[in-house]
Amino acid sequence: MSSTVVISPETRNVLRDPVLLVPAIVGAGLAIGWLGADTGVSGTRVAADLALAWALMAASLVALERTRWRRSRALLAAAAFVLLAADLQWASSHALWTLGFLLEALWVALLVQVVLTFPEGRPWSRVAWVATVGAYAATLGGQLVGALVLTDSRDVLSVAPYETVAEAVDRVQGLLGIAVALALLFLLVRRLLVLRGAARRAQAPLLVAAGLTVPATVLWLVWVSANGDDAPTLETVDRAVALLVPLGVVAGIFSSRLRRREASDLVVELRAEGAASLRERLARVLGDPTLEVAYRLDDGRYVDAAGEPLELPQDPNRTVTLVRVRGEEVAALVHDPALLDEPALVESVRATAGLVLENERLAAEVRAQLAEVRASRGRIVAAADAERRRIERNLHDGAQQRLVTLSLTLGLAASRNDAARSDVLSRALDEVEEAIVELRELARGIHPTLLREEGLEAAVEALARRTPLPVTVERSVGDRLSDPVELAAYFVVSEALTNVVKHASASKATVRLDREADMLRVVVEDDGVGGARAAADSGLAGLRDRLEALDAKLVIASDAGRGTTVLAEIPCGS
Amino acid sequence: MAKRVLIVDDHEPFRAVARELLEDAGYVVSGEAADAAGALAAVAVEAPDAVLLDVQLPDRDGFSVATALAVPGGPAVVLISSREAEDYGRRVEASGARGFIPKSRLSAAAFTALVE
Repeated sequence: MSSTVVISPETRNVLRDPVLLVPAIVGAGLAIGWLGADTGVSGTRVAADLALAWALMAASLVALERTRWRRSRALLAAAAFVLLAADLQWASSHALWTLGFLLEALWVALLVQVVLTFPEGRPWSRVAWVATVGAYAATLGGQLVGALVLTDSRDVLSVAPYETVAEAVDRVQGLLGIAVALALLFLLVRRLLVLRGAARRAQAPLLVAAGLTVPATVLWLVWVSANGDDAPTLETVDRAVALLVPLGVVAGIFSSRLRRREASDLVVELRAEGAASLRERLARVLGDPTLEVAYRLDDGRYVDAAGEPLELPQDPNRTVTLVRVRGEEVAALVHDPALLDEPALVESVRATAGLVLENERLAAEVRAQLAEVRASRGRIVAAADAERRRIERNLHDGAQQRLVTLSLTLGLAASRNDAARSDVLSRALDEVEEAIVELRELARGIHPTLLREEGLEAAVEALARRTPLPVTVERSVGDRLSDPVELAAYFVVSEALTNVVKHASASKATVRLDREADMLRVVVEDDGVGGARAAADSGLAGLRDRLEALDAKLVIASDAGRGTTVLAEIPCGS
Repeated sequence: MAKRVLIVDDHEPFRAVARELLEDAGYVVSGEAADAAGALAAVAVEAPDAVLLDVQLPDRDGFSVATALAVPGGPAVVLISSREAEDYGRRVEASGARGFIPKSRLSAAAFTALVE
């Protein structure tokens, strides 16, 4: 059997690889069988020991495919050995009998440790650690103390043979055993309730199996403390019940393998459906709802399916599995480390989803580039706005200021001089005042000061008042919005009203500003002639960059004879 | 009766023409200041009856100066600016000033209408 298994040099270690123990355990089993037959032990009893030992060994071998289960595998193999070693009690040598007596119940403690440290060999909790220590105390410790006081003539360790003391030791052993069994049951139930996903799939069968052995073990311990432990039939039953433990280990592995088959069935589905729910489907196949998919961009950054930047976690509670297609990394699956127990499952998903992920990666890359373009357009618009604000301020504080002073000075001069000169000065004054008005309008068009000071509603109402036809403003904007949103909405209204005045021959117009959740809706309607189009050189077309930087939509409805409606929808989420 | 007026503006030529306008109408210009700090100091020393106050000052804006001066027994404050009142929305009203005159329409009559 062992000769057919290829062992790589780095795993040539008994603790790492129970395969090396196979010849030994088979030999030991045969020797025990011969010993038992030689001393007249019942065949059923011998068969029970062999069945349990070989089942434990087999479970240990099946678990070879789980790299993280190394310690559990070693414990299972050790339990098989110790179980058979206990049968040295059937030997005629007193020394061997004593050794067998000492090891009599140790296999139970080893199995308790397998369960309470499953699957990675670390105790689940402090309570689990205490229960494991308790199991060793009850089995190995109890037998050692028992050996010191035993009245049996075969016991070479007996130093103070007292029947009553030996019975008391047995009783304490029994009670400690019951305590450990109950603690085990409690820990099992608690663990079953918290496990999820891949970890639950792989571990639940063992937890349930171990839980089922507890009542049997407690009954056995109670019966032994009442009637003494020389009951071969009960020992046979006990070993039969313990078979559940290796069965549970193997069942967990096979239930994961079933999952793997399901994974390959999903290949077709993965390739057929749209990409939006790829993450959900992968999460379902892998049984890990926390799964994240990170797509790798050419520059080494990672993004999610929407193209938003993503960092791979450094968290020890998360594991990253890289997916490569033709040697090139396309994505990283970020998942629960319990999935490492099912490398074959992860591998099959990785193999089948590779191409779909590759496609998704390209799509995510395009989305990331779009987001980048939008962000850069936003920065350009913001920079232009800052510049407009600066120019507006300079116009006011510089040229406007001087013109105003000049006009006041001219006015003063006109009031103090003779009529002829006064007339000339008055005309100069008119010119200056005209220049001031034009300059003010120019500055306002460059950047609306009121918008900055008082917000969108006030600025739009001022626009409406300055428009030379009746404009009704209906508004429900509420709080101030971000500068780019307010500016975009303001310029839409401003350009639309300019068009109404210039082209629509309208008698009145209505402006509506509605904010619903994360969307600002701007509507400008008139009762004019309609037939307007967003010509490439119109003011509204000039707002394209500004609106697209915000992912906003602009719709112009203008059937001939039915007026014009300009609608802008501007996302304004924080 | 001759009222005492403080003129606050950072543009010296403007202060000069404003002074002439007001003095022509019989006001006494008690002093001039070029910024908010100077304005508050001058009010404390000269106790003028009225202040002609520019909104855009180099250190603080005129609204906050107007608010600081809006105490019982304080001077009547008239805000001026090269911008229109409309550009400031409700801030003129909220400042506690008597009123607002765009600089291009500044006249003694407009000033008198607000401070009397």
